Amino acid sequence: MKKLLLHIAIVACLFFVFDRLLGFGLGLLYSQSNATDEYKISYSNEMTRDPILFFGSSRCLHHYVPAIFEKELGKGCFNTADWGIKNIYYHYGLLSNILTRYTPQTIIFEIHPCDWLKTPYSDVERANSLAPYCGMSDGCDEMLRQSGNYWKYQLSWVYRYSGSFPSLLTGKFGSMDRSLKGWKPMDGVMDTTGIKAEEYPFVEDSVKITLLKRFINDCQQHHIRLIMVESPMYVCSQQDVFEFPRKLAQKHHIPFLDHYRDSDFVGHAELFYDFGHLNREGAKRFSEKLSKELRKIRPAI
Amino acid sequence: MVVNSLSFLCFFLVVLVVYYLLSTKKVLQNSFLLACSYWFYAQVDLKMTGLLVLLTIIFWGIGYGIQKAIEQEKERLASRLTTLSVVVGIGALFYFKYLNFFIGSFVAAADLIGIHLSWTASHIIVPIGLSFFTFKLMSYPLDIYHGKIGHEYNIFNFANFIAFFPTILSGPIDRPKPFLKQLTQSRLFNPDNLMTGFRRVLWGMFMKMCIADRLDLYISAVWNNFEHHSAVSILFASLLYPFQMYADFSGYSEMAIGVSLMLGFKVAENFKRPFFTLNISQYWSRWHMSLTSWLTDYVFMPLNIKLRDWGTNGTIAAIMLNMTFIGMWHGADWTFFLFGIYHGLWYIPLMVSGQFFKKTKIKVNNHGLPTSPFAMKMVGNYIVVTFGLMLFHSTDISEFWAVLCRIPEAWNGGLFFDMPTMVNAAICSIALIYVDFQEEWFPNKKLYLPRFAETYRWELTIALEIIAILLFGIFDNNQFIYFQF
Repeated sequence: MKKLLLHIAIVACLFFVFDRLLGFGLGLLYSQSNATDEYKISYSNEMTRDPILFFGSSRCLHHYVPAIFEKELGKGCFNTADWGIKNIYYHYGLLSNILTRYTPQTIIFEIHPCDWLKTPYSDVERANSLAPYCGMSDGCDEMLRQSGNYWKYQLSWVYRYSGSFPSLLTGKFGSMDRSLKGWKPMDGVMDTTGIKAEEYPFVEDSVKITLLKRFINDCQQHHIRLIMVESPMYVCSQQDVFEFPRKLAQKHHIPFLDHYRDSDFVGHAELFYDFGHLNREGAKRFSEKLSKELRKIRPAI
Repeated sequence: MVVNSLSFLCFFLVVLVVYYLLSTKKVLQNSFLLACSYWFYAQVDLKMTGLLVLLTIIFWGIGYGIQKAIEQEKERLASRLTTLSVVVGIGALFYFKYLNFFIGSFVAAADLIGIHLSWTASHIIVPIGLSFFTFKLMSYPLDIYHGKIGHEYNIFNFANFIAFFPTILSGPIDRPKPFLKQLTQSRLFNPDNLMTGFRRVLWGMFMKMCIADRLDLYISAVWNNFEHHSAVSILFASLLYPFQMYADFSGYSEMAIGVSLMLGFKVAENFKRPFFTLNISQYWSRWHMSLTSWLTDYVFMPLNIKLRDWGTNGTIAAIMLNMTFIGMWHGADWTFFLFGIYHGLWYIPLMVSGQFFKKTKIKVNNHGLPTSPFAMKMVGNYIVVTFGLMLFHSTDISEFWAVLCRIPEAWNGGLFFDMPTMVNAAICSIALIYVDFQEEWFPNKKLYLPRFAETYRWELTIALEIIAILLFGIFDNNQFIYFQF
């Protein structure tokens, strides 16, 4: 028994040392990565100081061109959005982390039904993308706790980077264009065959709604100007998909700029990469249109 | 609750502590083990736990009857009871696993000749692990009848053999004699068993979570959308599939064997580096060994003896039937039937050339590695296995056919390559291939470590294996391919 306990103790010590050393090394690689995903998340969490930030999932990532907004509004912008149907769990954690460093002036939030509906494909697990930032802020830790992984990430630093070893190794050699400031353009024109509107036959998720309200409250408490936006789709659902966020925005006196059915874009296949994402040209046109609209907003941004 | 889940870890830690606290009282230890096994099975398949208990009682009763009949020299009665046990075992398998398949096939066949039947398949839930524990159940009366074992008068010991929780879901399919013998002895706390067992569990987890589940991401992405993938991608995914299957099932077996060892039980081995083989016969002697040896003993050998008057043709017929059983054991679909036939057909050239009965020794070069012709044969055999597993992977014959048709017409596309998935899988696969290679060709050669590290070789290996699992593993895919059987 004594021998076994000694073995276990040595294993535990070795594991702790290897885990911390390797975890620290992976953390460094993560912060310095030029690969799109890691760079995006690390820059948003650790470095951005721009007064205007864009929040959202893939539609935000591909639709908002910071350079165009900077030119129109005369202020620095950064697109913090990430692909992979990120939802309010992720956005809330990210906002909390950013607020530990500085307070942005404006957040333009591309809201998606996954931010308030109980969808089978985008739930609390989306918060796990913030694993490398476990311990950075209470809000981030709370999201990781809700995903059930907080203690696992505390126990093992290596586990925070599970599955990302190859991209971290090669990340240094990535060719991320930093001048795009977080925007990821999509080149190509969509194939329109068999395209149907995306429907959301899901019930409201009370946890997500609570987080959404907390996101709004945190912005208001920090005097951050929050603007909710819905960018265009190639085909639109017949239902009033955005009734909930519209009412929520109204209640909190937040502008809600709904371009979901914008006729300048809807049905124009040449501006879309696929049914839900604008291509490079579409994104530029949308950013130009929205930036002009934002310029007119009072009080001014 | 599967072996590589956190809930199993918690369950097992509690079991382990109590189990060894009871190690001086054999009866209590066995009773506790049985209670844990039933509790574990109930967690996985609560509704079918009753069936498991019922079948256990029936087979124990039949075993008792056979033993008494033998003692009273009532050969006919013993023979009838043995037949009854086979009928009950096959009947349970047939009802739960194959009834719907046969009804569906019969209705489809009748439809072809213009007879329209309105029979509909009934909603039958297949108990998890049925194919595994039914084979364990059937081997018991058969072994008593053939004089290999005596009846186990303690029904709890017999129930322990059937329901033993590390192996009930996906094997290995243990035999009654060695397992029941171990139950008669107390399992005392043994640190060596515990450490060796734990290492095997970790290695199994590595195979499952870092290789099988990673490869599954790629293979499923291609196979589930084969209409949109090029021939090169389909062929590449197909070539990876045997390796994924190996990592998945051998990984599970390693975990089951490791957990058993930690409890003081030595159970049957299931895999022995099956891809270092020259032909299909050698492959099956190293792949899912506990199933193939079961079928060899209880199906092939009796059939071969029955058909011996037909000479080589009789052996071929016995092999074809045996391989068909192997195929159908995996599932109720024509793909599995053809999978069995396909493998059986590869035995014919071996039979005709006499290689089936010969033990071919692999020639090695100066470095101790197989020479080129033998290496080429191994590659060839891997391709043969790959084609069979394409059948195995297909949901039905039409899908298999559609995949085959897609290959010649989609040559112009490039290789779909999901870099992070493939690099993660490749790093871990190289580790597995290295270990298998060492064990196969240089079993006595250890990886050189500096003196300090050598002192703590065991601890270092464990710590690094845990780190590797955390870094490369997939933690949200707990399903094992063989659970469906």
